[in-house]
Amino acid sequence: MQRPSLPHVIPPPTRRRARRALALGLCALLGLGALTVSADAVSQSPASYQVLVNAKNPLMATSREALADIFLKRSSRWESSERALPVDLRSDSPVRRAFSLGVLKRPVAAVRSYWTQRIFSGRDIPPPELESDEAVARFVAEHPGAVGYTSSRAIPAGTKRLEIR
Amino acid sequence: MRGAIAITSLLGCSLLPNSALAQEQAADGPPVHIHAFVSQGVMKTSANNYLMSSKRGSAEFTEVGVNFTSNLTSDLRVGMQIFAHDLGPVGNYAPTFDWYYLDYRFRDWLGIRAGRTKIPFGLYNDSADIDAARVPVLLPQSLYPSDHRDYLLAQTGAELYGSKRLGPVGELEYRAYGGTLDLAPPSPPLPGLTISDLQIPYVYGGRAMWLTPLEGLTAAGSYQALRFDWDYHFSPELIPPFQAIGLLPAGFGGTLPVQFRVKLWVASLEYQHGNLSVAAEYGRWIGSFKSQAPALLPPHVVNERYYGMVSYRVAPWFTPGAYYSVYYPNMDKRDGRQDYQRDLALSVRFDLNQYWLLKLEGHYMNGTAALDSALNGGQQQKALAKDWAAFLVKTTAYF
Repeated sequence: MQRPSLPHVIPPPTRRRARRALALGLCALLGLGALTVSADAVSQSPASYQVLVNAKNPLMATSREALADIFLKRSSRWESSERALPVDLRSDSPVRRAFSLGVLKRPVAAVRSYWTQRIFSGRDIPPPELESDEAVARFVAEHPGAVGYTSSRAIPAGTKRLEIR
Repeated sequence: MRGAIAITSLLGCSLLPNSALAQEQAADGPPVHIHAFVSQGVMKTSANNYLMSSKRGSAEFTEVGVNFTSNLTSDLRVGMQIFAHDLGPVGNYAPTFDWYYLDYRFRDWLGIRAGRTKIPFGLYNDSADIDAARVPVLLPQSLYPSDHRDYLLAQTGAELYGSKRLGPVGELEYRAYGGTLDLAPPSPPLPGLTISDLQIPYVYGGRAMWLTPLEGLTAAGSYQALRFDWDYHFSPELIPPFQAIGLLPAGFGGTLPVQFRVKLWVASLEYQHGNLSVAAEYGRWIGSFKSQAPALLPPHVVNERYYGMVSYRVAPWFTPGAYYSVYYPNMDKRDGRQDYQRDLALSVRFDLNQYWLLKLEGHYMNGTAALDSALNGGQQQKALAKDWAAFLVKTTAYF
């Protein structure tokens, strides 16, 4: 909307002052950043994992993309139309790091950011996080639609290994 | 209601160290999932007040939210979020239902949400309140203007959503919505002018996101249309000067009914590879006024907005980022400082632990188009400093 002119005072040129302030600020930010980059920037060696589903799940194999969709809750059901129940390990678990990079194709921090967006915009909540391989295996054995991953090569009772094509 | 906010904040803080509620223990575990965030920021500008009284430094930059979600059946979910914020003259800690819905998912390709839902517009509009979901403190203000939050963030009505695998060509995610907005009349732009009967008869739109076969590359298109109706009331002493310069018609009675149609669209690209994230968006907002005073309210204005943004997670706890954002309120008029605003920003984000982060940010601004005269002592945009800088610090706790 156009407004009638109001009396005003044009301030003195501030370009130089703004540039100086910005340059100082950026130097401070970069300096702080440089101080904080340290050895843990180097990624840690990947762990191995296997994907487990409930023994009653008729599926023997699935694609990486389909499995990623289930863990990111873009897909809610298996091909058998059974509701999918993904379960994660804790975000500091090396097995989760390996699974995240191998199947979801993104680091755990990026997955956390994905879930933060979805949680607070009301779209969905992340899979439950369990403490150990044993807890994941128990959960998968108890829920027909469950899917999880563990470091162990053993196949606990009530579960079976899902091959990733 | 301020008590409710205090309770919400205390609830958030008291639960923060204990992840039991936030980290769902089992699929059939806690019947209600609780998540919350608390953010506090400060901003200082070298010149001009931006979003708040920033020239002297301001901490009027607060966000608090808590949400509750429950799966009633395997396909039916309900949820709500209570949100309060303060951003200069906007918000003032008034708690609101940010979103609430019941959500039924028939199939992966079709679900419906009814209630008040976040508007999917561009890549980040529906998470624009959530400091923890991004690297910069301020999202590029050309596409995501913080002081327009009430107009852009959520609508009351219904939304259809779904996703569909497209075989070798990737996956499509889509959302379409329709409803209305619930808004209080804004402050009048001039003394002697009042606004009444603000109505939003409709808002509708949608977003389609194509997750391309190139892992991490997403392309999206968003569209939104809405209409505002309101009445301007001019005080008797204001009418003659406006008539003298031809802004009001002869014989004007003092009340001016206005209809304002807005159409917005944005095209988006995002690429995420490992710890690298790159995004670019381009949009236009087209506004059309219908009134008896076309000289006062231009019948057709198109503005232009775009930005490019990059961030890289150097370590799990350290992510620097930068963006360049441009805004033209009238894309046919780009001469004066009031006709554009260009924003070069550099941010660093420190994830101090899983629940707490700290951000520092610097902006070099060129132009005054996004500045509010009312925050700057009534000075017109063309009288404000053309080149200026802004510095922000913000911390957020969330779970």
